[in-house]
Amino acid sequence: MTETAIHLDRVGKSFALDNGKQLTALSEIDLRIGKGEFVALLGPSGCGKSTVLRLAAALETPSAGRVTIDGKEPQALSRAHRLGVAFQDHALLPWLDIFANVALPFQVAGRKVDDARVKELIGLVGLAGFEKARPRQLSGGMRQRASIARALALQPDVLLLDEPFGALDAVTRRHMNLELQRIWSAQRITTLLVTHSVDEALFLADRVIVMSGRPGRIIRDISIPFERPRHPSVMRDKRFHELVDELTLALEPEGAAP
Amino acid sequence: MTLQSEAVHRLVLGAVGVGLFLAIWQVIGTYRLAGMTWPPLTDVLAFIADPSKQGLFVRAMLASFASVALGYVVGILSGVAAAMLGQVLPIMRPGLDRLVAVIHAVPLVALAPVFMVLANRDLTPPAISALGVFYMIYVATTSGLKAASHTHRDLFTALGSSPTSRFLRLELPAALPALVSGMKLAIPVAFIGTIVGEWFGASRGLGLLMVSAMQNFQIPLLWSAVLIVTTASLALFGLMSLFERLVYGRFQ
Amino acid sequence: MSGVRTFISHYWGVLGILLLWQAWVSISGLNAIVLPSPLSVVADLVANPAIYAGNAGKTFLVAVLGLAFGLLAGVLLSLAAWTSRLLNGLLTPLGLIFSSIPVVALIPILARLLGYDMRTEIAIVAVAAFFPTFVFVGAGLKSRPPGSDDLFNVLGATPWQRLLRLVMPAAVPNMMVALRLTAPEAVLAAILAELLMGTSGLGFMFREAAGRFAMERAFGTSIIATITAVIVFGLFMAAERRVDALWK
Ligand SMILES: Nc1ncnc2c1ncn2[C@@H]1O[C@H](COP(=O)(O)OP(=O)(O)O)[C@@H](O)[C@H]1O
Ligand SMILES: [Mg+2]
Repeated sequence: MTETAIHLDRVGKSFALDNGKQLTALSEIDLRIGKGEFVALLGPSGCGKSTVLRLAAALETPSAGRVTIDGKEPQALSRAHRLGVAFQDHALLPWLDIFANVALPFQVAGRKVDDARVKELIGLVGLAGFEKARPRQLSGGMRQRASIARALALQPDVLLLDEPFGALDAVTRRHMNLELQRIWSAQRITTLLVTHSVDEALFLADRVIVMSGRPGRIIRDISIPFERPRHPSVMRDKRFHELVDELTLALEPEGAAP
Repeated sequence: MTLQSEAVHRLVLGAVGVGLFLAIWQVIGTYRLAGMTWPPLTDVLAFIADPSKQGLFVRAMLASFASVALGYVVGILSGVAAAMLGQVLPIMRPGLDRLVAVIHAVPLVALAPVFMVLANRDLTPPAISALGVFYMIYVATTSGLKAASHTHRDLFTALGSSPTSRFLRLELPAALPALVSGMKLAIPVAFIGTIVGEWFGASRGLGLLMVSAMQNFQIPLLWSAVLIVTTASLALFGLMSLFERLVYGRFQ
Repeated sequence: MSGVRTFISHYWGVLGILLLWQAWVSISGLNAIVLPSPLSVVADLVANPAIYAGNAGKTFLVAVLGLAFGLLAGVLLSLAAWTSRLLNGLLTPLGLIFSSIPVVALIPILARLLGYDMRTEIAIVAVAAFFPTFVFVGAGLKSRPPGSDDLFNVLGATPWQRLLRLVMPAAVPNMMVALRLTAPEAVLAAILAELLMGTSGLGFMFREAAGRFAMERAFGTSIIATITAVIVFGLFMAAERRVDALWK
């Protein structure tokens, strides 16, 4: 395996609730993601997937253990403007048009906006011609694509995607998966994708991590053998179906027992 | 931090803020930092408490508060009545909405001449209060009457209830929270109406007292009258806020 | 025919009030010296356009300048409260208290404190506009698009960038709401300030007309005051629409 990019070293996370109690969201999470690797994180809702991602993005601090990216604190990455993130909420600013939204990372990083790069990214996610549109004028899928373009703007070292297609219908979603694969293949950015769709995880990732909840733990770590670039026909492959069955079983509550 | 300790924290800070405000008022007054026209808080309170001034204040308060109360009650009754009329007879709605918009567009003080010639001077303050309150209550009640959900409405219709019973059992209770919020917001409006009406030339009242004190450099009297009016309005506003919470807890 | 129908269905209330007015006058037998006829009011308006326009213009100026200063002060203080939890905790309840008192009652005090002149009138309008602006903009600074705080963390934004690019733009719609809501109050405050202490403006015209029982003038002033209020309100409503179209 190549060198480690993201490393969660026996990480635990608990939250203080309003009623004064503690909620243990994660315990003993050990996870290494290699440079240039695409890892999908799968699990039932509430099992702590987003928390893992937020720890890697330095949006939360671990209660136990340590999170590092390239051996450094994860904050170092966002401070250096080397982190790209797309959430389930597209988090586009409603008062900026699509071009300005995608260009925002340049401005926050204090760099001159690279108009050509922004244009190219907007084209890459299939939004060419919508540069002057406002987020509210776009469909949900288009907003998600714009937020992915924004995440890629500064050619980040690490890409974190939290159910970016969660709100989309199945057809659009499949289409987005194809586009994401195309974009990723061109740049090979270290990527952590949170999803609850087994198909999506298998189609996109080099490795699929399955978590179970209460408290969140890793119960499976599976390497995905399919050649890249992957054609949608891979989903009709016998091996693909076996993996779908295996992962689906792992996601069942009884299958979650180690 | 838990929710409760956060609320306590906010309450304490808010109380400290109000305390600081009063202390600054006192300091500015004591050291005359804003000139002779800014008295210390204690002077104002002493002036209000002075037994020899009691008669003056009581007379003015009786006149003003009676006007506020009259305007408030008339405004609420007419506002609710007008909103219910619009609900029961939808054909009246557009006309009612226009009328209310026109009333709202007229600055309260511009109504004063009308009332002066139509009624007598001492009816002008409650009349202006009533109009201001009427507007608030009409708007609140109409929007409240829309609050009953379509599903609920369909349910009542499916159960075969008559429009009257649906109105009494569904729409009216659903409108209550909005109405109470409107009643809360109408309190300062009722006070403003009375003060403005009195400025235009009533024969007694706190508004009149303020103006004459202002013109005659009676500084403690001026501040006392203003303090009494604002405190009374705030106290009633606070009471209505509590009532509002109660109603929201019960009906929403 | 249907045009007449629509007109009556929309304006029966206004017509009814006019009829009631007429009936009241007829029954109570008020004489024309006290109650001016609509025609004589119009005649006074037509005969003295300069007086009306000049005073209305002055009231308009006081209202708009006062709104601008009140807005500026409200925005600055709400920003100060945003930067510090302590300031926020101290100021927010005070702001709520002051925005729920009958603020016109403060006019005589301000007039006495600052002296009788036009700057005081502007200050009075500014005070009336200040408290609601503080409350609304303060709420606006806290209502940012979902996920945007995380986004700015991830982008490595400095506090200053966050303020300029996220927090302040997010408060703009609320600021426009505050302006629209305080606009009628501002006109009222301007007229009242002029009524109590002014030497020009619509409020002064009210005082002067009522003082000599010139009811044509008083009614004419009412009409012009209403038009001024509608213009100011309409202006800020249109501004709010424009901003919302760009912002939301
Ligand atoms: N800020 C927070 N405060 C309290 N509890 C939280 C917080 N964030 C997440 N949790 C809890 O932690 C658990 C895991 O949440 P999350 O990581 O969002 O799950 P997932 O993304 O897998 O659906 C859930 O039970 C959730 O309620
Ligand atoms: Mg999640």
